Amino acid sequence: MKVLGIETSCDETAAAVVEDGRTVVSSVVSSQVDLHARFGGVVPELASRAHVEVLNPVVAEALVEAGVEVPDAVAATVGPGLIGALLVGVSAAKALALVWDVPFVGVNHLEGHLYASLLEDPDLELPLVVLLVSGGHTMLIEMVDHGRYRLLGQTIDDAAGEAFDKVARYLGLGYPGGPAIDKLALEGDPKAIAFPRSMLNEGYDFSFSGLKTSVVRYVKAHPAVDTADVAASFQAAVVDVLVAKARRAAFDLGAPGICLAGGVAANSLLRDALVLACKEDGRRSFVPSRAMCTDNAAMIAAAGWWRLQSDGPSPLDTPANPNLKLRVV
Amino acid sequence: MDFGVRTGVIILGIETSTEQVGCAIGGREGVLASVHVTGGRRHAETLTPAIDFARRQAGIELSQVSIIAVGLGPGLFTGLRVGVAAAKAIAMALRVPMVGLSSLDLLAFPVRHSPRLIVPVIDAKRGEVFTARYRHVPGGVQRMSDYDVMTPDDLASDLVAGAEECLLVGDGARRYADLFAGDDRIEVGTVGTACPSANALVELAQPRALREEFVQPAEIEPMYLRKADALINWSVRETAGTVGAGGIA
Ligand SMILES: [Zn+2]
Repeated sequence: MKVLGIETSCDETAAAVVEDGRTVVSSVVSSQVDLHARFGGVVPELASRAHVEVLNPVVAEALVEAGVEVPDAVAATVGPGLIGALLVGVSAAKALALVWDVPFVGVNHLEGHLYASLLEDPDLELPLVVLLVSGGHTMLIEMVDHGRYRLLGQTIDDAAGEAFDKVARYLGLGYPGGPAIDKLALEGDPKAIAFPRSMLNEGYDFSFSGLKTSVVRYVKAHPAVDTADVAASFQAAVVDVLVAKARRAAFDLGAPGICLAGGVAANSLLRDALVLACKEDGRRSFVPSRAMCTDNAAMIAAAGWWRLQSDGPSPLDTPANPNLKLRVV
Repeated sequence: MDFGVRTGVIILGIETSTEQVGCAIGGREGVLASVHVTGGRRHAETLTPAIDFARRQAGIELSQVSIIAVGLGPGLFTGLRVGVAAAKAIAMALRVPMVGLSSLDLLAFPVRHSPRLIVPVIDAKRGEVFTARYRHVPGGVQRMSDYDVMTPDDLASDLVAGAEECLLVGDGARRYADLFAGDDRIEVGTVGTACPSANALVELAQPRALREEFVQPAEIEPMYLRKADALINWSVRETAGTVGAGGIA
């Protein structure tokens, strides 16, 4: 069964065709990064306008690349995300499903990210501990089985990606902050400044706003500091906390593996640190390709296929929900 | 049942630029079926089931539709985009051309027989309205001005200064009716004239279709008439970045 996936929850317009939730037949992503760069973040109205403009060609390209005229189902992200942006993809997806007379399935964007890893490694053993880190989310999730999740912890303030963006902006590194800090940190000393590791040993929740404040305070007090050292030390503090908690969760739950997901999972240090930690603990680590970490529609098509198997199609009056929660067991 | 349109042009019209969601199916014989749902502003939930209902009532398959007509606004950005995105997707899937019409034209058309200056007014929120001016001509209306966005106060003083008999229609005219109440040359239309209808869309698209005045889906864009607020007033990552948004309950 070939599922067309559509993703428009934030600043990527994406479409993909995935077979049986496992094989990516085509995947097209049109990024709006340049459009939002000068604002230092995603501007919802601009994102929505751009989605309307590029969605048709993106979908057409995904279908042509897949050699598919009419897919067997249409899946679209229905939340969480920016409401105006979500509505473009949801409306188009439902309209396509209606015209083609195939099932529509609404997909939770977070569930999509969880499926990104399974798309690249279909043999991943469940249960898994998934560290989902992006500009909007920082969560530690236990994936018990297909479609069954348990939330272990999440950020109580800023998302990890948000902390990267804010610190990058403060350091004058531009937007998006993640790749900029990742690159500059390579030239810096991660031990140069001892930034705090908030809540390192407490539970599974995260907090990054204190770290951001420490960076600002430190740079103000030491104006001559090497920016590369700040970037490296900041990044090390974020990664330390993320990896330590994921590691502890896997230990506590006896999970055989840890998996990374979300845009921040493209960070080099985080990828290396997680692989190393798992090796030390004798666990499997799974780190999806960078293209699968950032928002894409293949993960939506895959999650949609699994949802179709378990719950069947979604009704055509399914709403888009900017605050949609992951359904937990 | 045979409506006699199956061999001719079948138009599917979609109009979502105000709080009303409308769709209509028709052709040379006029509108065969239409659905209009007002209130609730649940455009994305209502539209596709409405299209499905209308096409069943019209007794056609969507694969028989040969033209997609869409109301381009101006209007509520979010609602508008629901209709435009759906219309573009359908046109792409069916590989059929599109006709795009301003929602202000759609408001003026049903009251075309009025001898007054016809002024459709759509509520643009934030203390502004979208508007244009029309006059009756044989067979329809002719637009006499640009599509514009302005404050209702400016519109009222323009109309009073113009000293001409006018008929104001649209949800903006009704919302700001008090501003026009002082001048008895200005008449505000009834509630039935408040929202652009998909029936007018299909009716107006028909002659364009005959003249083959089509546009391809790629060229269809909503008529915003207003820059994204962000270009004036920078705002960043709202929903996606706020604390707890998208968390698991
Ligand atoms: Zn994402």
